[in-house]
Amino acid sequence: MIRVLAIAALLLGVGPSGALASEGGGGLINVDKSLFIQIINFALLLFILVKLLYKPLLAKMDERTQAIRKSLDEAQAARADAQREREENAAKLQAAYAEAQAIRATALKEAAEEQRRLVEGARAEAGRLVESARNEMAQDVRRARQELRQEVSDLAITVAERLIRKSLRDEDHRRIVQDAIGRVDKVS
Amino acid sequence: MRAHEGTARRYAKALFELARGSGAAEAVGQELGQVAAVYAADARAHETLTRPWIKPEDRRGVAAAIAQRMGGRKLVQDFLGLVAERGRADHLPEIIAAYQGLVDADLGRARAQVRTAVALTDGEKQQLSAKLERALGKRIILEERVDATLLGGFIAQVGSLILDGSLDGQLARMRQRLARG
Repeated sequence: MIRVLAIAALLLGVGPSGALASEGGGGLINVDKSLFIQIINFALLLFILVKLLYKPLLAKMDERTQAIRKSLDEAQAARADAQREREENAAKLQAAYAEAQAIRATALKEAAEEQRRLVEGARAEAGRLVESARNEMAQDVRRARQELRQEVSDLAITVAERLIRKSLRDEDHRRIVQDAIGRVDKVS
Repeated sequence: MRAHEGTARRYAKALFELARGSGAAEAVGQELGQVAAVYAADARAHETLTRPWIKPEDRRGVAAAIAQRMGGRKLVQDFLGLVAERGRADHLPEIIAAYQGLVDADLGRARAQVRTAVALTDGEKQQLSAKLERALGKRIILEERVDATLLGGFIAQVGSLILDGSLDGQLARMRQRLARG
């Protein structure tokens, strides 16, 4: 306020130099009644200006300053928050990455174990199948051999029966009967 | 069949006790066999004796009349009448077999059923009987039956003992040996 008044006084030529000018006469400002009126006008104007313009302007400026400061503070806080969030996110990302790595490693290990187990199971199953097939084949061979033997023996005996039936004469029957009677002793 | 045999054994045993008491066990067996042969040969008589809807007393009368006509003694007539009356006429073959077994056992002899490819000569029969008697320690009655399905030799059965002297038996044994390898 004082600074404003000083500026106004300077502009109006009030002060020692002004007094000198009036002493010399014929200056810009004449020290008379009108000067007081002008001073009063000026003071009134100044008062009005201060009241209506300067104070609201200062208030507005303060408000703007506060707003800007607040915005700055908010921006600072937001930046800090963002930084913190970024750091948190980075930490989370790092943790997630580590966890993913761990999961991946576990999954790989489990997959390898499962693969090993499956391969072993498949090998065992294949072994069993081979053994079963081998046994079955051996059984088939045995059965085929037995059937072949049976067929051969049936055929041989059938042929023998036919030949014997054709060729047996009475003296052969008598000899067979005698042989059989002779074998009765062995029963006792 | 087992039930038949059990029933037949009970009837045979009862008849055998009565016949042995009168000292005619073997004769009764022969008469029984003759009458049973008539029953088997005469279809009408067989039907009359085995049909359940014919009155028991009528069956008894018919059976006794046939036995009388065949010259069977009173015991045989009564027994056959009883068997027919009780509806057991179809058991007669088993009854006779069981009776023969009891008579044979009582007389210390055994019956040899001989199935043979060709009829045995008298000499062969005597030889076979003698061998069997020596082997079993019993007198043997040979019952021969010619079986044309046999290749050669004979199969003799005495009770549960079977003597296979046939070519068929030898071939069967050879077949088993061949099949076994």
